[in-house]
Amino acid sequence: MSKVKTHKVIGLRSTLLSLVLFLFFILLSNQFEPYNQSQLANIAMLLIAVLSITLLTGASGQISLGQGAIMAVGGYSSALLVTRLGLSMWLAFILAIFVSALFGLFLGLAAARLSGPYLAGTTLVMALAIPSIAVRFETFFSGDVGLSVDYGMPPEWLTKLIGEVSIEEWSLYVVLPFTAVALFAVLNLSNTRIGRTWRAVRDNEVAASLAGINIGRTKVIVFVCASGLAGLAGALYGFRGLVAPSVYPTDLSLTLLTAAVIGGLRSIGGAIFGTFVIVFLPDLIEKVTNNLAIPETVGIYLPALAIGLLLLLTVILNPRGAAGALEHLRHKKKH
Amino acid sequence: MTPFLTAFFSGTAQGAIYALVSLGLVLVWRSAGVVNFAQMGQAMFTTYIASQLIQNNYSYWSAFLIALISGAALGALVDLGLMRPLTSRKNSQLLNSQSMRTTIPVIASLGILGVLKALAGIFWAGEERGFPSPVAPNAIKIGDTSLAITGFDLFVIGTVFLTLVLTTIFFTKTGMGLAMRASALNPEVTRLSGIKVGSVRTLGWAISGIASSLAGLLVTPRTNLSPNTLDLLLIIGFTAAVVGGLSSLAGSVLGGFILGYVISFVNVYSAPENVFIAILAFLLLALFLRPQGILGSKEVRSV
Repeated sequence: MSKVKTHKVIGLRSTLLSLVLFLFFILLSNQFEPYNQSQLANIAMLLIAVLSITLLTGASGQISLGQGAIMAVGGYSSALLVTRLGLSMWLAFILAIFVSALFGLFLGLAAARLSGPYLAGTTLVMALAIPSIAVRFETFFSGDVGLSVDYGMPPEWLTKLIGEVSIEEWSLYVVLPFTAVALFAVLNLSNTRIGRTWRAVRDNEVAASLAGINIGRTKVIVFVCASGLAGLAGALYGFRGLVAPSVYPTDLSLTLLTAAVIGGLRSIGGAIFGTFVIVFLPDLIEKVTNNLAIPETVGIYLPALAIGLLLLLTVILNPRGAAGALEHLRHKKKH
Repeated sequence: MTPFLTAFFSGTAQGAIYALVSLGLVLVWRSAGVVNFAQMGQAMFTTYIASQLIQNNYSYWSAFLIALISGAALGALVDLGLMRPLTSRKNSQLLNSQSMRTTIPVIASLGILGVLKALAGIFWAGEERGFPSPVAPNAIKIGDTSLAITGFDLFVIGTVFLTLVLTTIFFTKTGMGLAMRASALNPEVTRLSGIKVGSVRTLGWAISGIASSLAGLLVTPRTNLSPNTLDLLLIIGFTAAVVGGLSSLAGSVLGGFILGYVISFVNVYSAPENVFIAILAFLLLALFLRPQGILGSKEVRSV
């Protein structure tokens, strides 16, 4: 059993960890060429969405196959605020968090009544239905064409400070502060009283309610927090260039879940690891298939095959994911 | 032909297929406590097998039969190879958590879905292909007026009706069917009375595999076949199962037909792009009004 730590220490530790991640990404990006820099930016934004699953499934035991749809809510709300109302991008990102959290509130009110497979199926239907709303109300959401938005050009003071900044680097610089803050928030949430409440509900609802925890309210709060995070990720993800139904397909929701599972559903380090895997594994496989001269018709399905097999193997052999395996090894050494 | 009758006939034919999908989901849910999100992935795979056989000059009916058999085999394989080892591992820390016991099999079934889709893409290339129907899809004519129902629709309705009759006989008259119902009701007591609950469970997976394979064979002449074609069918089938009651076989069939009419009437009286939103709205409405489903019984949670 780990000792219960006080709030102050947790605050310091999580601040340090968030800063370390921030610096690690910056240093790593300096070693990379533009393509991999933009992949790194992808990791930074998808990590926020994966962290929302770590909260939802890992900490509170609720499953969502529709995080991609909530990302779409964040993406559309921020893109509409910028293109229709001319708001600044930064303000739009922050408002997107609130819009998606509000959406999460409604979702949570429905989800609090559901469990396990019911919730999984309902969120899956949602993953399919939400993007289709954009097509249904075409005049407002511009249908399949979508809304074009981007991060803009790096500001002058930045180029003066550190010299020429490429578009790829700029996208990373825009995303990273949000990632660091999201990581800080999740680290703190899961170690405080509210996080312990979530775990109690996850492990045994009856016992938790006997201990005085309001199950329904707890589940709604989890959904609000997770939706806010996913919405932020969706807003950042959309500003790579386009907010459209095709940017947030059902597969995106499943890929995010895969990242959270292979890293370890209950571990934040696992979420980081899993996100790296889902972004870089397809690139790695492409390199291998090019070298082995595997025909392209087969090659395009290999990443999906590899990620699917990885998910299956993780669930069968080691349901606690990479983080769980690491902990297991450390445990063995001690004895 | 009035729009109402058009919607009614196409709703019946579509609903028959949704009823099969929903029946497959409920069979596995009742026998194993798992909602199998890979179900239509399995059906997609077996339909590809049939399509391959027809290309190699096998007759439609032999391909049909082999697809159903491989559907049963695939269902049993998923249970024996994956779900049984997964749920039998009682001491795993993750599975000790109440909510995770239902979540982990869902994730596993999504993994199977991903693998099957990728394999189908590798074996048969991803592009859409047609799938033949044994009956010409021409409108049936009485005198000079053509009805809004095609010969193929009648074939679909007839096949599903036959399947439902056989399923009913299986569950009410045969020993194996009764054993399945008993073990869904109370596995412990069933085991004590000498029935092998594990085999009964695998049988549930196999029958579900047959039902969903059949749904795949019946729907693809209309929708064409690609690794992703049947995803929508899973979502509709799930909604149908929830509406009818996840715990009730009769309810699942009823739910399938209800969904068939809902979708068909939205298509005719509104617009096709409203279908997804209608499904979501209908699902949420059903969950709010009657979470256990029309014919389902309330879940009792033991401590």
